[in-house]
Amino acid sequence: MNLILLKLKEVFSIKVGIPGGLLYYRYETFINTFLEELEIESIFSTETNKEILDMGVSCCVNDACLPMKIFHGHAAALNEKCDYLLIPRIMKCENSESICPKFCGLPEMVMSGIKRKEGVITYPLYLNRNKEIKHYLRKIGKDLEIQENKIMAAYKKAVNNHKLQIQGIKDQGYRFTIFLGGHPYNLYDRFANMNLIHKLHSYGIGVITEERVSDNEKEAEIKPLMKKPYWLFYKNNYGAGKYLVKDQGIDGIIYISSFSCGIDSITIEMLKNDIGEFPFLILKIDEHSGEAGIDTRIEAFADMLERRKLH
Amino acid sequence: MYYMGIDVGSVSTNIVLLDKGLEVVQEIYLKSQGSPINSVCEGLKILKKKYNSLQISGVGTTGSGRTIAAAVTGADVIKNEITTHSIAASYIDPDVQTILEIGGQDSKVILLRNGIISDFAMNTVCAAGTGSFLDRQAERLGIEIDELGSLALKSKAPVRIAGRCAVFAETDIIHKQQLGYEKEDLIAGLCHALVRNYFSNLCKGKELKDKIFFQGGVAANLGIKRVFEDVLGKEVIIPKHFKVMGALGAAILAKEAMEKEESKTLFKGFNILDNKITTKSFECEDCPNHCEVIKIFSNHSMIGCFSDRCGKYQASASDLKIN
Repeated sequence: MNLILLKLKEVFSIKVGIPGGLLYYRYETFINTFLEELEIESIFSTETNKEILDMGVSCCVNDACLPMKIFHGHAAALNEKCDYLLIPRIMKCENSESICPKFCGLPEMVMSGIKRKEGVITYPLYLNRNKEIKHYLRKIGKDLEIQENKIMAAYKKAVNNHKLQIQGIKDQGYRFTIFLGGHPYNLYDRFANMNLIHKLHSYGIGVITEERVSDNEKEAEIKPLMKKPYWLFYKNNYGAGKYLVKDQGIDGIIYISSFSCGIDSITIEMLKNDIGEFPFLILKIDEHSGEAGIDTRIEAFADMLERRKLH
Repeated sequence: MYYMGIDVGSVSTNIVLLDKGLEVVQEIYLKSQGSPINSVCEGLKILKKKYNSLQISGVGTTGSGRTIAAAVTGADVIKNEITTHSIAASYIDPDVQTILEIGGQDSKVILLRNGIISDFAMNTVCAAGTGSFLDRQAERLGIEIDELGSLALKSKAPVRIAGRCAVFAETDIIHKQQLGYEKEDLIAGLCHALVRNYFSNLCKGKELKDKIFFQGGVAANLGIKRVFEDVLGKEVIIPKHFKVMGALGAAILAKEAMEKEESKTLFKGFNILDNKITTKSFECEDCPNHCEVIKIFSNHSMIGCFSDRCGKYQASASDLKIN
C-alpha cells in the first residue's frame, strides 16, 4: 500500500511543460482536457510577449519563420520549470493534406536551440487517425507511468471536448465583414499580429476565419483547381476565401502571413488570382515591433471599405 | 482662411497650405533627418513669417509620423498616407485610375475606380525598391541625388543590376563598376532594377489603367519615369505637386472635416514654436512586453505619448488634455 502511494506521489510530482505556440492554438482544448483528466501537473507558458519573442529569436535558427521562433521562446520559458517538455512531432493533421515540414523537425530544432537533451516528449503524432493518436498517448502514458485505461478515458473526454469547442471566429453585428486568412498561430497570437482582430473591430470590421467554413464548401472550391492542394492550410484558406467571396457577402479579405512562409506564398497568389478584383490586403509579420506599418495598412483598408460603401 | 496639410515621412517632411478654393499657396519640402518634430517646427517657422495663427482654419497630418505631428501641432484630421495620396490625386485629376508612389522607405500602388480606392498594395518589410535605396547608391557613386534622373536618361545601354535586395544590388553595382561600365549605364540599370522590383512586389495581378500618376519624392527622377513608361507602354504623368501629394490630401481632408462639423480648429497656433518640445523614451517594466514608451513634452507638460501596447500611458496623456 505504501509502495503504491509512493509511486502515485512520484507520478503526480512530475511536471509537464506545454509550450503555447504553433498548433497549440488549434488543439488547446484537446491537450488541456487530456492533461486535466489525468491530473498531470502541467505548466503552460503565458501568452506570447516580448520576453518570449526575444528568447525565441536568440535560440532559434536565424532563417526560421516568426511563429517557429515564438515557439522556441515558449519552450525556453518553460525549460527550467518542468520535468518533461511536450513537443509533439506533428506529422499530419488531416488525411489528404500535409502541414509545413518544419513541424516534423520541431523537437530537434527546439532541443538544440534551448540546449535540452532529455525530458522532451517527441513521439511522432498523426492527428488524422484516431488509432495513431491513441498509440501516441499510450506511449506518453508509459513514460509517465499511467495506466492504459485511464489514458483511454482521458482521450475520450479530450476528443469530446475538442469536438464541442467551436473553433475560429465568425463575428456578427459589424458594419463590415472580412475573411481573415492565415495560419491559426498567426491569427490568434495577439502579440505576433499586434492585436489585429481588436484593431479591426475598432474600425467596425468583423472577421470570419476559415474554421467557420465547412469542409464540404472548401472541397467544392478546390475541385476546379488543376492540382489538388498539397498543404492543409492552403486548402483551408483558399477554399474558405473563395467560397466567402462568391456567396457570402464579405467586403474584403485580409491575409496575415509570417515573412518567408512558403505555404502562404502559394495560398495568397492562388487566391488573388482566382477572386478577380476584390479588396485584398496582405499583412506580413516578422520580428519588427514597429506597429505604424500595420496600422497604416489597416486604416487605409478600413477607409477603402468605408468609401466604397458610400458610393 | 487656409488649410494646412503636414506629411511626416521617413525621409522628408512636407507641408502644404491651401486657400479656401483649394489652391496651393505654399509648398514646403524638408528633409526629416531623423527628427520629425524638428522638421515640423522648421516648416512652421517658414509659415509663421507669412501667416498668423488665426488664418489657419484646419490642420491634417499624414505619413508615418502623423500621430507625432498631430501631437505637436494639434490636428483636426489624422489620416494614413494611402488615403491622402489618393484624395490628392483624384482632386487634381478625377480621371486618375492608377497611382504609382515611391517615397523614402516605402512604395505603394493604388488603384482608383471612379475616384474611390479599389485596391492598393504597399511594400512589405523590405525597403529595396524605394527612395532611400536610390539615395544610398547615388551617394556610393558620388552623384547628387538630383542628378540621378538626368544621368540615367543619357544612358544608351543600361547595365543589368539585381533589384530584389538592396544589398545584392550594391554588390552587383560594385562588380560592374570594377568592370568599367559607365556611370550613367549603371544608374539607368539601377532605375530598371527599382522598377522591376516595384512591379514584381506590388503590381502582380493588378490592372494598371490610364491615367497613371507617378508621385512621391522619387518621381523627381526622370529616369524612373521613363522606365515606368517603357514597361507599361503608357503615359505616366507626374503631377505638379508630386513631392507633397500626401500633405495636399491631408489639407483637403482637413477642409472637408472642418466644413462638415463647423467646429473650431484644434491647431495650437504658431506660438508652439516658442515652447521647447522634447521627447523622452523609457522601457516600461510593468509586464514582460517591455514596451519602449515615448512621451512628448512641450516645455514641461506632456502633449503626447505613444508605443505602449496596453495603452495605459496614452490614456493618461488624454486625461491631461481634458484637464
